Amino acid sequence: MTKVELRGVGIAYESEVVVSELDLTVSSGEWLALIGPNGAGKTTILRAIARLVSYQGEIQIDGKAVHNLTGRELARRVAMVMQEPHMPDGMSVSQYVLLGRSPHLTYFGKEGRTDHRVVADILERLSLDRLAARPLDHLSGGERQRAAIARALAQQAPVLLVDEPTSSLDVGRQQEVLELIDALRAEQGLTVIAAMHELTLAGQYADRLALLVGGKLVAVGAPADVLTEPAIAIHYHAHVRVLSLNGSGRAVVPVRSHLPSPPGEVVP
Amino acid sequence: MREHHMRWAVIAATTIALTACAATSSNTPSSPAAAHFPVTITEASGAGVTITQQPHRIVSLSPTATEMLFAIDAGSQVVAVDDQSNYPPSAPLTKLSGFTPSIEAIAAYAPDLVVAADDTGGLVHGIGALHIPVLIEPAAKNLDDSYREIGQLGAATGRVPEASALEKKMRSDLAAIVASIPKPARQLKVYHELDDTYYSATSATFIGQVYALLGLKNIADGATAAAPDYPQLSAEYIVASSPDLIVLADTKCCHQGLSTVAARPGWSSIAAVKSGQVIGVDDDIASRWGPRVVDFLRTIAPHVKQLEVRAA
Amino acid sequence: MLILGRRLPAPPAPPLALLQGLPRLPWVWAVAGLAALLGAATLGVLVGPVHIGLGTVVQALLAPIPWFGASSVDPSQASILWSLRIPRVVLGALVGGMLATAGAAYQGVFRNPLADPYLLGAAAGANLGATLAIAFAPGSSLIGVNLVPLAGFVGAALAVAGAYALGRTVTGLRNTIGLILAGVAIAAFFNAIQTYIQQAQTNNIRQVYSWILGRLVTAGWDGVLLVLPYVAISVAVILLHRRLLDALSVGDEEVTSLGISARRVRLIVVVAATLGTAAVVAIAGTIAFVGIIIPHTVRLLVGRSYRVVIPLSLLFGAAFLVLADTAARTVAAPAELPIGVITAFIGAPFFIVVMRSTRAAAL
Repeated sequence: MTKVELRGVGIAYESEVVVSELDLTVSSGEWLALIGPNGAGKTTILRAIARLVSYQGEIQIDGKAVHNLTGRELARRVAMVMQEPHMPDGMSVSQYVLLGRSPHLTYFGKEGRTDHRVVADILERLSLDRLAARPLDHLSGGERQRAAIARALAQQAPVLLVDEPTSSLDVGRQQEVLELIDALRAEQGLTVIAAMHELTLAGQYADRLALLVGGKLVAVGAPADVLTEPAIAIHYHAHVRVLSLNGSGRAVVPVRSHLPSPPGEVVP
Repeated sequence: MREHHMRWAVIAATTIALTACAATSSNTPSSPAAAHFPVTITEASGAGVTITQQPHRIVSLSPTATEMLFAIDAGSQVVAVDDQSNYPPSAPLTKLSGFTPSIEAIAAYAPDLVVAADDTGGLVHGIGALHIPVLIEPAAKNLDDSYREIGQLGAATGRVPEASALEKKMRSDLAAIVASIPKPARQLKVYHELDDTYYSATSATFIGQVYALLGLKNIADGATAAAPDYPQLSAEYIVASSPDLIVLADTKCCHQGLSTVAARPGWSSIAAVKSGQVIGVDDDIASRWGPRVVDFLRTIAPHVKQLEVRAA
Repeated sequence: MLILGRRLPAPPAPPLALLQGLPRLPWVWAVAGLAALLGAATLGVLVGPVHIGLGTVVQALLAPIPWFGASSVDPSQASILWSLRIPRVVLGALVGGMLATAGAAYQGVFRNPLADPYLLGAAAGANLGATLAIAFAPGSSLIGVNLVPLAGFVGAALAVAGAYALGRTVTGLRNTIGLILAGVAIAAFFNAIQTYIQQAQTNNIRQVYSWILGRLVTAGWDGVLLVLPYVAISVAVILLHRRLLDALSVGDEEVTSLGISARRVRLIVVVAATLGTAAVVAIAGTIAFVGIIIPHTVRLLVGRSYRVVIPLSLLFGAAFLVLADTAARTVAAPAELPIGVITAFIGAPFFIVVMRSTRAAAL
């Protein structure tokens, strides 16, 4: 059971407080989406869990404090997919994904057959096996996104942190990526914490949503509880309709202020 | 009464005439040849330098020129010499630099003649703008050049007889030394070392000419294609040439001597090292082209004599 | 496969073909590198300002082996071979291999294609140390070692340490820029002092100049033995870091999330590369070009992974410098050219040719 717990977490950049008094628990196998307006601190929280930024308070994974773990131990528990991962030119897909095996190797160690097998497996699962030898700069946006996820999966960590998995992808690629994460979650019992600014997608795929505004947790719960029209009006200053879709899922639709009238009709 | 005045007039006139004659024909070393001036000296570059009066405040920025000036008894006319002019010890050493001359610092000595070896840092232009004559006496390529420079300095300082006397003495001293060395059966080879990275001097240089005078073959001449004057020789080549005589001009700067040379890898097979004919000379003497070249020859000659006796 | 307590269906049998696209050192190129090195070494031993015939060379090389006995080799030629030429070839290989490897390592650690072994001020520090020694204590020794290379070594080490200390004041995970700028500042400062001393010490200008341009002045096998331990350790450490250098290319943050401390890797690699660079610079002066040209040429011709670039840079760097040194002592024989002149002369056009003949996509 890989639980992720944040207790009283505060994060500050220089003198600016970005996140304050955060208490959050993510259960094993759960998909928690971090939502909120721009600058709410979603990415920052993910980076804190991955210990890429310093924080006050406690972050624990399965009861073990994150700051007590070594880099390798942490990387074996937490894998992160960045919003804009750096893809070095000339590196092949398989070599890139193989980097995800680093936490399982000793400092001077070399990858072995097991590592190759894990990577080959993941590439096949993500339909990247035919692209294994292709250099990263020759891939499309969607393929690159899949490669980044593949590398994170190669770490075989029970917690997956994803920062904006769908930005700059078209609707087809968006669905592809989210379905993939969902399927892997079911297969492997991954705990997924994703920063998502797309409310509808978050409302469709996540088990729970955590709404962050100005670094404070404003609401947490199922999509039905968090994605309400008043809440969105207050925190996003947006006029929307929230629709129920796909069981407990929710979709958020903006309401246009001026609807064009059909020709000939007089607007009352 | 008129004959009385006439007699005094004749005596006075005669006295004046005689005194005037005596003054113009005076040739004693202690009195300057004032009528010798103004004098125009043609430098090696072809430029003419005019000196209007006998200079008494000479600034020398060239160690060799300093040596020459003092050797022609013009030392009393020198007020300042550069920081490298360490011979003779009585020369008025200052912090002036011959490599990066400061016009202002030189002018502070109120010179009436400046002597230098190169026109660096706009020296001629700068000093010339102050209406002070500048004489450039560059590195001599051979003994004739050196004699000519001595002559020029003699003319510039009003010490012409002293200069020609010095030249005469140098010539005869050198001839005597050369004559004292017997002719060898085969031509002996010499390697002249400037520093411990094997820079040498060919026969196109002043010091190289001296070796030619002694009838020695300079192994650096094989490298004139690379650098006509001061090539950097390869250790292999020096070892293979096996010179009979090694002259080290880097005893002061780089602490080289027979023991350090013999310790160099492969050098123990060189003829000069085996016979111990590795001579150190004063770095300064070997790098200047002044009257002390005679001392240089005197240092080397006995060794050449030893070798040639053996080789005969 | 067992992951997190859930038993998953067994994966399909591993594909018969190996995982495609992995960074491997093509054995063809490894052999080519070795061949280049051996060829260069052979040429270096056979060719020189003094003509020594092939037969004599073979005889002299075999003489130490008791089987062949002491043959009638001219002692002066044997002396030239064993005391001068062969150690010089060995030294050239050590210096060239070290500079190329260090250059590749620096490029990997700073993710900057313009990085060379002198990036953090090693050259400026070595030049200053050597200039001070030549100017104020020429010809003297300390603990049996000539002062000039010792001062050069210490100078290089101090400069890099200074750059590191200065660069560390720039905090944050993205601090390679800080380090590089610190190196530039230190180098500029040391260069200024060196220039001042050089122009004030006109007696020794020729020596200083000769040192800066680089020259394989060999104290025979002594020079080789002096340099060997540093080069061996440095190259070994860098070779062991091949995989980590590849990993660093995704950036400090991502590498940290993979459980690798970018800072620690950088520190270890820089220390190792600097140690080796300082040692060879102390003996051979600051030879430029090798540290940039060789790794880039290998990248253009073979591939970018450091598992390829490091070993091949070592071999081809060694071969290149031995060839350059052979040219330096032959072209103007019996005079010597500074080796820095040759490396630039050969290196630049060669690099242009390689760049133009390789597919633009490979860049």
